[in-house]
Amino acid sequence: MLNTVEKIIFILLAITAAGFTFHGFKTIIDSIRKGRPAPELKDVPGSLVKAAIAVLFQQTIFKARKVLSAIHMGLFFGLITYAIVNLVDVLEGLIPGFDLVYGGVHLPNAPTGLINAFNLIADVMSGALLIAITVFLVRRFIVKDKALTFRDNVLLNPKVKAGGQARDSLTVGVFVIMHVGARLMSQAFRLDAGADPFMPIASFLNSIFGASETGVHVAWWISLGWVMFIIPYLSRSKHTHFFMSPVNLGLAKQNPRGQLDPAIPLKVIEGQKFDPGAKVVYDLAWTRVMDAYACVQCNRCQDVCPANFQGRPLSPSALEVNKRYLLKEATFGSHPEKLLLPLTETVISPEAVWSCTTCYACVRVCPVGNEPMADIVDIRRRMLIDGYEIDSGVQNALQSLATNGNWMSKGKRLRGKWAKEMEFPVKNATEEPVEHLWFVGDTASFDERVIPNTKMVARLFNQGGLDFGIMYQNESNSGNDVRRVGEEGLFEQLVEQNMEAFGKAQFKQIVTTDPHSFNTLKNEYPQFGGKFEVKHYTVTLLKLIEEGKLTVKNKLSNYKVTFHDPCYLGRYNGGFTAPRKLLELLGVEFVEMPRNCENSFCCGAGGGQIWMGKVAPGERPAENRIKEALTAFGEGAKDKAQLFIVTCPKDMIMYSDAVKTTGNEGKIEVRDIIQLVAEAVMVVA
Amino acid sequence: MNIVVAIKHIPSIADDLPVKGVNVDFDSVDFVLNEFDEQSIEQAVLVKEAVGGTVTVVGVDLIGELDAVLHLALAKGADKAVKITGDDPAADSHQQAKWLSEAIKGMSADIVFAGVQASNDLDGQIGAMIAAYLDMPYIGGVSSVEVSGNTATVNKEFAGGVGAKYEAALPMVVGVQAASKPPRYAPISKVRQIAQSATIEKVAPTGEASAGITFKKMAPPVAAGHAEMIEGSSKEVAAKIVELLKSKGLA
Ligand code: SF4
Ligand code: SF4
Repeated sequence: MLNTVEKIIFILLAITAAGFTFHGFKTIIDSIRKGRPAPELKDVPGSLVKAAIAVLFQQTIFKARKVLSAIHMGLFFGLITYAIVNLVDVLEGLIPGFDLVYGGVHLPNAPTGLINAFNLIADVMSGALLIAITVFLVRRFIVKDKALTFRDNVLLNPKVKAGGQARDSLTVGVFVIMHVGARLMSQAFRLDAGADPFMPIASFLNSIFGASETGVHVAWWISLGWVMFIIPYLSRSKHTHFFMSPVNLGLAKQNPRGQLDPAIPLKVIEGQKFDPGAKVVYDLAWTRVMDAYACVQCNRCQDVCPANFQGRPLSPSALEVNKRYLLKEATFGSHPEKLLLPLTETVISPEAVWSCTTCYACVRVCPVGNEPMADIVDIRRRMLIDGYEIDSGVQNALQSLATNGNWMSKGKRLRGKWAKEMEFPVKNATEEPVEHLWFVGDTASFDERVIPNTKMVARLFNQGGLDFGIMYQNESNSGNDVRRVGEEGLFEQLVEQNMEAFGKAQFKQIVTTDPHSFNTLKNEYPQFGGKFEVKHYTVTLLKLIEEGKLTVKNKLSNYKVTFHDPCYLGRYNGGFTAPRKLLELLGVEFVEMPRNCENSFCCGAGGGQIWMGKVAPGERPAENRIKEALTAFGEGAKDKAQLFIVTCPKDMIMYSDAVKTTGNEGKIEVRDIIQLVAEAVMVVA
Repeated sequence: MNIVVAIKHIPSIADDLPVKGVNVDFDSVDFVLNEFDEQSIEQAVLVKEAVGGTVTVVGVDLIGELDAVLHLALAKGADKAVKITGDDPAADSHQQAKWLSEAIKGMSADIVFAGVQASNDLDGQIGAMIAAYLDMPYIGGVSSVEVSGNTATVNKEFAGGVGAKYEAALPMVVGVQAASKPPRYAPISKVRQIAQSATIEKVAPTGEASAGITFKKMAPPVAAGHAEMIEGSSKEVAAKIVELLKSKGLA
């Protein structure tokens, strides 16, 4: 179809485009390689294949925004089809007489059926693409979906602030429309014998514009000439995610969710010495440098972020976007010196760093396997080492943890005080063998508001004939939140103290009250040699009931309850069923909140937030959660007491508080699941 | 500039305080750094950061566990640590002041910091007595210190929010109520690193205190009376308070 001059121009253009594209990806790969060693990945080919399948079925995006995800799916299949369509179009341009209209009538021995199928798919997909891209453009530019914007108090790269992302989207959006539109037109102009039933859209256009030899040329050039510019552009825009997100997904975190990467890479590279945590962008593990290139900039992570919800200056997506713009300015642009700027000036504000509750919602929801939370923890780690002034409440907590082994400034010896007040002896697991070592945790051991529940757990264990004991003053805080605050040294010290205590004890398994302790004991202690079976008390209680050791004598049908999944039990460790099963056995009326299980909304206490001296303004996540529960209960008959059930001592405090501050006392009451179990099995006190 | 900080290890009140004979049962309590000494260490390090010099922290090792406190001080920016091997958990502020001043004598100190008081004896004597033994001026209740050349400018706080600014010629002793900035946090990794590498100088206690405290009896306080919690809505509570005030003849 093309004449010789056209062919030469096209080939030269293609070579140039390939050069720029190669340079683009080489720059990206070089930059990723400058990141620190990441935890070792196993079976990379296997996980890449798994990721490819996930991408093919667009599985990961359906975790949120279902309708938009379906449209994205259309876009995705459209573009995949178009990769082949473009190839065929190039052949049509370069090979004389290569023309696929009307089932390939002009071709000798053409596989007509195959060609017709191809034409039909290409034609329909063109329409799908045009619709999908229009929806996305309308969403961004006409409806101006708030989800695509950032709060004013979030640190943003100046280029992002100046609308860099919107320009990028517009460029690619307009490209797709022109490219697909021109391709449809070039096909329409080819139809010199009227409609082709396998090309309905092109036939329709043909009925308006007719056939035209010149038209074919012009449209072909608009369609494919454009591609030669846009492909190199993609590597320099957020649309690199076309290529990088499947790779990123394939190389995503393999360790358990509840296991943080070490502060200093475990892999020792000759001659390299690392400081703990991250100050500049290349202090991040290479997999997390790559996150920036994989990021779709979809803000799904921001949608689920409790800190962002409260109006705090944290946006996990802004973190990735800023990282991306920083890397771009430094590697594609002429500002390599920016790589040496602290992340707290370029990527995330210090205040935002200290707003994260480490709830993992951002990482969970991200369709491309990014881990903004891990970056935040690394930044905290370095800030602590560098002597950055931290919140006084957090400092007091850390200091107390260092001296007393608990964050509440209580003496070590007071840890077992509640147990000594019990009506039966509670064994000291460091002095006599027990089957279950109960790791009680700070809040459950010391907080007067929670101790009645702690005692109730003991009574139920006792009544169920469970052979259990606690470690009294030998127990120290597990260190879960200490680690997430970034105090790796103190975390290690606490682990050592607990490991020493465990060493003195004889037990078969550990049971915890606190999901935070549960998480680190289960997922992180193994790296320090602590390999034991760890259970949350909901599982232990369920087992006691199922085995008939505790009997539900009193069905609690007078309660209407909902259940809050604590981040560290649910999203981190998949402990969704035991509490629900328990509630079912107790005979309560159960109502699920819209945000449940994996999608549960953080109470706002994790990652050291509960220690903060300064209280941030704005509606607190816990308050929002109480409202969500009340809405879920609806206006229905008020003959039943409405309960908000928790399985974490911190939640007891957070939510009891939130019920008061939202003025909902009398409408909803916060109870630990243990209180209901006690009532149902009629515990003998 | 030679900056010296005199610190004190005291029984922790995070635990219930057990009594044995006429004193605390020292075997069943943990010892911690006096909280005002945390402030004075911070103030000393801030002065060093402003004008240069070395910070030497010195304390009496009452129960053989002072090293941990000294390591923490070093991690926060002190340069030298000295412990006086007192080995007597009951040594009172008078005795400790004597031992401390004997140890400080040889340090040619330009400025000596001490916490304004400690929660065990609450007498605020150590700083003042060190000053007397060393024949230096003393200002206590201080909430910030700035040094320039041979003079120190200190802010002192009085009750009722009244403050005063003093200028004093060095050498002097300062009793710190609060540092001009909150004490910094020392990351544990740094403390542990120092614990492995630092050397702590040991000196023997010398000198007898001229006077001190004699304990006659020690007992936990007996709760006298109790608080009554008024329940109800804010209006009801307010009405009850008014009623109460009236009944006591206060309104
Ligand atoms: S972990 Fe939770 S709080 Fe932290 S950035 Fe992610 S979503 Fe926000
Ligand atoms: S990090 Fe993930 S969820 Fe967040 S904007 Fe990027 S792609 Fe979307």
